[in-house]
Amino acid sequence: MEFKEVLGIRRSIRFFDQERPVEREKIQKILEAMRVASCAVNAHWLRAVVVNREDIPPETMEALKMPVAALVQELAPVHIYCYLDTGIVNRIKGTRLRQLVDVGALAPTHGWSHKFVDEFVYPQVLEPLTQNPAYPIAAAFDCGGAGTQGLLTAVDEGLGVCWTAFNADAAKTLLDIPDDWIPLYVMNVGYSLESREAGGQRPRPEFEELYFEGNARQPFRRDPRVVKDLEKEKLFTPPAPSPNPERMKEIRTMARKLGLPE
Amino acid sequence: MPTERAIEDYASVAEWAQGLRDQWGGDPLAEEPEKLASLAAFCEFVDMNPDEVLAFCFLRKKASGERFGSQKRREEIAARLREFRDQSGLDAAAARKRVNDVLSFLIHGGVLIHTGMV
Repeated sequence: MEFKEVLGIRRSIRFFDQERPVEREKIQKILEAMRVASCAVNAHWLRAVVVNREDIPPETMEALKMPVAALVQELAPVHIYCYLDTGIVNRIKGTRLRQLVDVGALAPTHGWSHKFVDEFVYPQVLEPLTQNPAYPIAAAFDCGGAGTQGLLTAVDEGLGVCWTAFNADAAKTLLDIPDDWIPLYVMNVGYSLESREAGGQRPRPEFEELYFEGNARQPFRRDPRVVKDLEKEKLFTPPAPSPNPERMKEIRTMARKLGLPE
Repeated sequence: MPTERAIEDYASVAEWAQGLRDQWGGDPLAEEPEKLASLAAFCEFVDMNPDEVLAFCFLRKKASGERFGSQKRREEIAARLREFRDQSGLDAAAARKRVNDVLSFLIHGGVLIHTGMV
């Protein structure tokens, strides 16, 4: 698929095919896509632990579920538990920044050198940053970016995906999670039972409500010609209508197939 | 039988009927009367009317009177639903269907409950 079509057809999938396992190769591709994501100071805070649902003991599975996400977790054949490794910055102490200098990603043109990393960036910026209460917020932003690359790769591979929360205590025991990893979300992965459109593109806030130019009160001017171009490139797919009888019919069919309440 | 009047006359059932109409179109309770029969059977099983079943899932904060969903009550209802299923004498699919009808009543009534709890 073309990149923008992947963005346009992505949906949070909540019904998964119970009969169709996910190929290991596709899971690896998801992880590889996470690894090449943009990341501040090349730290790579994201950690992901892959578990096949059928390998999770039933009592642990129950404990892992969150109330509103329980069914998604129950139906998804593969779970990718995502964490933020808070200790990484103080373990690597700037070595990955030095690598960026070595390969020319960071250069003196922009103020970077080995000495600058060793004597200023790590000791005076990064190490103190890890003591700042806001540190996990900044690191979580990077984890979100990396996770999204994995998510979009899953869509490109023809898989259905949905982020949900999970019970961190149960997962910590099940997965032997180190104490300095912060739980983020679990990516639920499988083949979708839903149609490709899954009811249509979800309602979103108005563009001008979200994006600004010049200052935070001036909405970014949206050019309708750009919107048209993106429609052609399939970033925009038909919006989900409301009411949506066809979608309701689809959900009802899946509910009855899976034995779910209506 | 704890339902002293016709089951569809209870406010919680009217709310369920409306929720089903809004969600699925048509009039699911009229089209599938077994849904009401499932709820009636559960009410009899727990010796409560539908409004009482729904109210049971919520408590009020002593200080403010604010209503909130009670996890303990929800788990109690889920446990009663499991008993209801296990003691039904029906085959698995039919028993599951009856439980799902009651879950639907609770979900449309705003209770945080799901099929995995039962």
